[in-house]
Parts: sequence; C-alpha cells; structure tokens
Amino acid sequence: MTALTHILSKAKLLVTDNEHAHSHVEAKPYSNPYYVGVGLGLVLLAAFVIMGRGLGASGAVSSVVTVGVNAVAPEHAQSNEYYSAYIGDSSVSPLKDWLVFEVLGVIFGGFLSGMLAGRVKSGVEKGPRVKTRTRFLFAFIGGTLMGFGAKLARGCTSGQALTGGALLGLGSWAFMLAVFAGGYALAYFMRRQWT
Amino acid sequence: MNAPFYKFDLFGFDVSLIIAFVIGIGFGFALERGGFGSARILAAQFYFTNMRVLKVMFTAIVTAMIGVFYLSYIGYLDLSLIYISDTYIIPQVVGGFILGMGFIIGGYCPGTSFVAFSTGKKDAIVFILGVTFGVFIFAELYPFIEDFYYSTNMGRVTLPDFFGLSYGMVVFLVILMALGAFAAAEWGERVMAKKGESK
Amino acid sequence: MKNYIMNLSGSKKLAMVGLILGLVAVLLGNPYDNTFAKVNVKELSVEAIRDSEIINVKELAEWIIEGRVDYRLVDLRDEEAYKNYFIPTAVNIPTSKLLESNLMRNQKILLYCEDNIKAAQGWFILKANNYKGVYILNGGVESWKDEILFPSISANASPEEKIEFDKMVEVSKFFGGSPQVGETEGSKEIKMPKIEMPAAIPMNTSGGKPKREGC
Repeated sequence: MTALTHILSKAKLLVTDNEHAHSHVEAKPYSNPYYVGVGLGLVLLAAFVIMGRGLGASGAVSSVVTVGVNAVAPEHAQSNEYYSAYIGDSSVSPLKDWLVFEVLGVIFGGFLSGMLAGRVKSGVEKGPRVKTRTRFLFAFIGGTLMGFGAKLARGCTSGQALTGGALLGLGSWAFMLAVFAGGYALAYFMRRQWT
Repeated sequence: MNAPFYKFDLFGFDVSLIIAFVIGIGFGFALERGGFGSARILAAQFYFTNMRVLKVMFTAIVTAMIGVFYLSYIGYLDLSLIYISDTYIIPQVVGGFILGMGFIIGGYCPGTSFVAFSTGKKDAIVFILGVTFGVFIFAELYPFIEDFYYSTNMGRVTLPDFFGLSYGMVVFLVILMALGAFAAAEWGERVMAKKGESK
Repeated sequence: MKNYIMNLSGSKKLAMVGLILGLVAVLLGNPYDNTFAKVNVKELSVEAIRDSEIINVKELAEWIIEGRVDYRLVDLRDEEAYKNYFIPTAVNIPTSKLLESNLMRNQKILLYCEDNIKAAQGWFILKANNYKGVYILNGGVESWKDEILFPSISANASPEEKIEFDKMVEVSKFFGGSPQVGETEGSKEIKMPKIEMPAAIPMNTSGGKPKREGC
C-alpha cells in the first residue's frame, strides 16, 4: 500500500508541477503532454505492479449493460453467452468488478483535476460551425461505433492501446495502428464537426 | 520477486476494489491534465493541429514499458503474471478501425468520455449513452459474430516473439519510434500553426 | 557539454533519459528468460525415450566413492525431506526453485526425488530451458535405500547373486547402511534402521564454487 501511495503521489506531483506550462491551442493551459504522459505511464505501471493488470474503461460499460439487461430480461441475459459470461454464477454482482471501481475513480480523478485547474464547466464540445443537436447526434453515433468496436477488439484505447502497448502485445499494436487508420480515414469527412 | 502484489495474494478481492478506485483517480487525473476531457483537443489529433493525444499516449506507453522491463529485469516483477490478452488479429484490427471511426465522429474514447463527463461536458453524456448502446448491440449480435470474434487466434504473442528480437531490442525500437513521432509531431504542429496564421 | 544538457527543455531531458534507458535495454536483452521457454517438442520427445539419461543408483554410488566431481547431484525434494536424509554430495534445490538456482547450462546435472516422476518433471523444466546435460537417478531415494543402504538377499540365492551381494555390502557400509541378509523374498518386515547422515563422507558439494551465469 505504501508503494502505491508513493507512486501515485509521485505521478501527481509530476503532473501538478506543470500546471502552468504552455499550451498552443487552449486559453486554459493544460500541462506539458510529455510530463502528463510520464504521470499516466507511472499510474499504469502501478496497476501492473500492484494488480498484475492494466487499465481499462469499456469493460465497465459491459458490466453495466449486463446488469441492465439482466434486470429487464433475465432469461434473455442468461441465454446469451456474452451476458452470461459477465453474470458468472451470479454469486457476485457484475458491478462488483475491478474495472467498474476503476472507472468510478476515473470520474472522481477527472473531476478533482478539473476543479483544481478551474476547468469544470458545463458545456458542449464542438466545432464552431456545427449545431449542438448535430453534435449530440454524432456523439451518439460515434459512441455506438466505439462501443461495438471496443468489444470486437477486446478493449478500447485504455485497455488495448495503452495497456497492451506497454506490454508489447502484438494484437494491441495492430489495434493501435487500426485506430489511427480509422480516425484519419474519416477525418476529412468530419472536418465540419471540429474545425 | 513479489510483484504483482495481487497475484501473490498480498491482499484480497475487496481491497483490490479500493485499489481500483485509487488507481482510477490517478488515471482520471492524468487524463484531465492532458486535456483529454475536451473532444476538440482529442479530434485535433486527426487534423495535425494538436498532437497531444499521440504525445501523452506514447509517453505513457514508453514510461510503463521501460518500468516493466527494468522491474522484471531486476527480478522484482514477474512479467509472466501480468495479464496480456490473446491476439485475435483480424477481429482486433477490424474492431480498432471501427473504434477509430467512432473516435473521430464522437470525439471521445470510453476512458476520456468519463473524464469529460465529470468536468461537465454534456456531449460526453450522450457519447457514453452511445457506447452503452454499442455494447448492447454487440452483445445482442454476439451469437452471430462469435465465430468471427474468435477467429485468427494467435495466442499470447508479443512483439519480441513475433519479430524474433530480444525484449530489450524491441523496447529500444519503440522508444526510438516514439521519439521520432514526437519530433514529427512538434514539427507538424509548427507547420500547421503557420498555415493557420497565413489564412 | 554539461551546460548544453542543463539548457535543454524538460521534454528534451525526458527524451534523452528515454533514449539512454532504451540503449541499456538493448544490452540487457530479455527480462523473462526463465519463465517463458521455446521448447523443441520433437527434440524433447526423442530425448525422453533415451535410456542414457537415466542413471541407476549403483552407478551413482560408484561415482561418489570414486569422488568424481564432473557432475552436480541435485535433491529436488523439499527442505525437510532433505534435512532428514540426502544422498551424499547432493545439494537441495526444490523443483519450484530450479530456475533460480546457480546450476549451469553446460554442467552435468543429476536429479533425484522420491521417485522417477517428480524427477522427470524437473528434467523437463531444465531441458525446456536449454540445460544440456540433465540426468535422472532411476528410482530416486527409494531405490537408493533399497539397493544401496539396505540391500537384501534371499536365503536361497544363487552363488552369483551372493558374490554380487558381497560387493554391495561393501558399498552399503561405505554409505552407512546396513545390508539385510537372510530375509525371505517378499517379506514386508524389513527393519528400517533410522537413517543417519553418513559422517565419513566429505559433504562439500561437487562441482566447485557456483559461478554466476552470464558474466
């Protein structure tokens, strides 16, 4: 436990020290990306050392979806192999899961950092040329593709690219290249959204 | 040799959930500091105007990779006990491509959307609903795509296995590649900034 | 030079640290040499059926008496069993610690355990990790007891057997055992005297000082 707090505090120190570093785009300065990267890398390393596993995000969504479907249509959930794998022998709730608690921490940590930097503000992230409603529609479509793709690839950018990348997994690196390929392939058609 | 702690039974499942929360805080904190709570910064990656995503991600990968390498070299960390998912090359590439398209359309990935949500971005809530819906669709279609999902299984393959290089050599090559990418990113950002000014 | 480094930005310093760590990593090579092994299954399966890698206890007794030092005798049992009794000159390396030991890949290594199966497991682990000369003591400690420490002969043995047995008595006494004479074959009442560590034998391990691998 002391090792954990030590590593975490170190990671945070690295990040907070550079709060006032320069940034090109935003008026509110974000930290030096390389320092943030080192901090994020140390958090990931802490997960490896303490838990023997990496970070993740989309797995938590699977648990939530499973619980939802199981509540509405238990028979359907039991008969579907995908849900039943998450339900297990139903002695433990799928929500009592490592990734679910980790994601709760992510939400809290993001809020903490945002508060400390005065960046918590209700709003919509979009390009100047697009309406909020359009942005919401695209956010939902993008999210759907993201959820589907993440399940098919057995992980998202956190679980596959970051974790698997650091462990030099072949599939993770192939996945990472595919993510960038997919993004750049559509970037031109999406430019009205963002610029 | 006593790490990973959890695999050596230094604490139980319930404690692991607390640790999950704490590690999550670190994760979320770092993501927010990196500017990943903003869809516009994330999307800017794909227009070469702001390469933070690449910089943060590769620095994190390199840092953790170096840490894992040296900790296991001195015998502190048992690399074989760290979970690496098996490689199913085609589903992973196809999934990655779909995910990449979702990234540029939706502006987030699952992890960053939670951070954006916690810092008040409404579009992030819609995005999370979308992810939930996507997972639901996947689960419903699962019986039909199960064969594809389990196709091209290559087992637990790492880059050193695949290329027949030593682990250290791959570590070095990844570092070189990352440094090259950083130099290119810095240069690209300057070029794009100039272009923006001249417009 | 020093000034040049000090004047670099933080990011560039990080980059240099990363590069240096990467270069060192190339020299260090592989962190998990020991845990993952590429196994030539065919080679192993061919070797597994060869009898030449099985040494019987009489051979070993001769080696010990002759004072040969070109091999290392390894006791794979747990510490307690080892403390209770071990074959002279043996070092204790439980199976789970085999790969952390200072055994050398080019050494002749003779493994023994309670029986053949346990020893064979050790044999496989070492073989899979590219140890060249790995041998098994046939029958393990049990055979050692039966044939060397407490050899027995039936009353109606043939003269040839008796001559052979007389030789064994010498060997047995050398190792502090006690030959059993006149027992009828198949009798289950062989008296097992308490095994004590033979004091006459020098206990230093053969093979000289352990060297560190990969210097």
